[in-house]
Amino acid sequence: MAPRIDFASLSLMDALDLAVLIEEEAQERYEEFAAQMEQHRTPEAAAFFRLMAINEAKHGRELAARRSQLFGGVPATATRAMIFDVEAPDYDEARAFMSPRRAMKAALASEAKAHAFFVAALPAIQNPEVRALFEELRDEEVYHQELVKTELAKLPPDSGLSDEDFVDEPTAQ
Amino acid sequence: MSATCEFQAKDYKSDLKPIWCPGCGDFSVVQGIYRALAAIGRPPHEIAFVSGIGCSSRIPGYTTAYGFNSVHGRSLPIAQGIKLANPDLLVLAAGGDGDGFSIGGGHIAHLIRRNIDITYIVMDNQIYGLTKGQLSPTSQKGRVTCTSRYGSMENPVNPLLYVLAYGAGFVAQASPTDLAGMAATIEEAIRYPGFAFVNIQSPCVTYGEEAQQIKGLKAISESLKELGHNPEDRLAAMDLAQHYGEKLHLGVFYKNPEPQPTYDALVRERQALLSKDALPKERILDLFIKK
Ligand SMILES: Cc1ncc(C[n+]2csc(CCOP(=O)(O)OP(=O)(O)O)c2C)c(N)n1
Ligand code: SF4
Ligand SMILES: [Mg+2]
Repeated sequence: MAPRIDFASLSLMDALDLAVLIEEEAQERYEEFAAQMEQHRTPEAAAFFRLMAINEAKHGRELAARRSQLFGGVPATATRAMIFDVEAPDYDEARAFMSPRRAMKAALASEAKAHAFFVAALPAIQNPEVRALFEELRDEEVYHQELVKTELAKLPPDSGLSDEDFVDEPTAQ
Repeated sequence: MSATCEFQAKDYKSDLKPIWCPGCGDFSVVQGIYRALAAIGRPPHEIAFVSGIGCSSRIPGYTTAYGFNSVHGRSLPIAQGIKLANPDLLVLAAGGDGDGFSIGGGHIAHLIRRNIDITYIVMDNQIYGLTKGQLSPTSQKGRVTCTSRYGSMENPVNPLLYVLAYGAGFVAQASPTDLAGMAATIEEAIRYPGFAFVNIQSPCVTYGEEAQQIKGLKAISESLKELGHNPEDRLAAMDLAQHYGEKLHLGVFYKNPEPQPTYDALVRERQALLSKDALPKERILDLFIKK
């Protein structure tokens, strides 16, 4: 089975590598969602998911730069198998014809999920530097939530239609 | 067989863009397959991926490997033919619950009893997705669909018990509620020498019921490892498999600790034995010419 994270023995290098992987996973998921929306003619949600992917990539690059400044080219031991959907929205959050509001709510839920991940991990962490990093990442998730909420507030009211209104009626074949 | 190389999940992603409904569980399954293949490290040209017909059966098209989106229900005999013709290939077969347990249900027993060394992945969404939401063999009793207006009167097939009862050497279950676990389970199935079956609860967001979506699945998920299940115990596996539909047990139900020889190994053995007295190719017609 996939190795999971032992927070008690996590080193700062491993923690930074995990943080980069978390951003990378979220970036890839948003890119996947954007491609799905483009495929299904939902351009507004696609544009929002592209923007989220760019933000996650930017954050990932910042963390990767810190990692290489501190630890240079020391090979990483943390792997993608250790994390799953920390900051990436669940696969079933995407819908054809989803409104920008629904897309933003999916992103908001993911930021809340990431916040919960860092909150849950903190009590087990022993290393003070790792603790400081996780506290910083936890607080950043609150800031990200605020950003999405601001964008949500700018939206005009929803049309009242749901994606269900666009799904074909089942027909026997 | 080639030496193991360094491959990443993205190396197995094809250029074809999936046309599944956004949110479909099959998006996560294809990611799980990419990750498992990267962990195995075989190059795409040493992999053959066969499917039947259905939404889920589009999966070989989205994977960089030899692919065949074949005929409804016939992925297994085709995969078997490929494996026997070229045993060095890593052969995957995949499809839906309808493809595998309705029209194709009769094939499973024969691949199991021959122990054909392939991995069979069923994306079980309890519905016919591609044809727009008809009752499938794994739909629960009472399920209302366009072909069961007043509720299904049939008991569902239990895919896990089905393959366990026929004697499959490797039987597991996964779901998008744990992608890392799904990838690890598929990897273990591929590494198993013999017929390996992975049932993946893959929600249909368009025709599936609320309880079958990721949040509903999370609520009934239980890790077999955390339950302390011993995957070498076939009877315990059958006991747990009875809860299909009520609980979502994730991980390996059964892994034969002493795998039976695979069919292609037996064929090679037989060929080696018979080739001792075999005529050279140029005298093969002598067999048919009366002396
Ligand atoms: C011989 C034949 N019979 C029937 C069909 C129609 N058909 C296509 S896909 C399908 C069932 C799809 O359900 P499933 O295998 O569960 O795949 P899903 O779409 O749910 O992934 C059926 C009945 C067909 N293509 N060929
Ligand atoms: S109909 Fe269902 S199974 Fe088919 S692509 Fe859509 S969500 Fe997936
Ligand atoms: Mg199906």
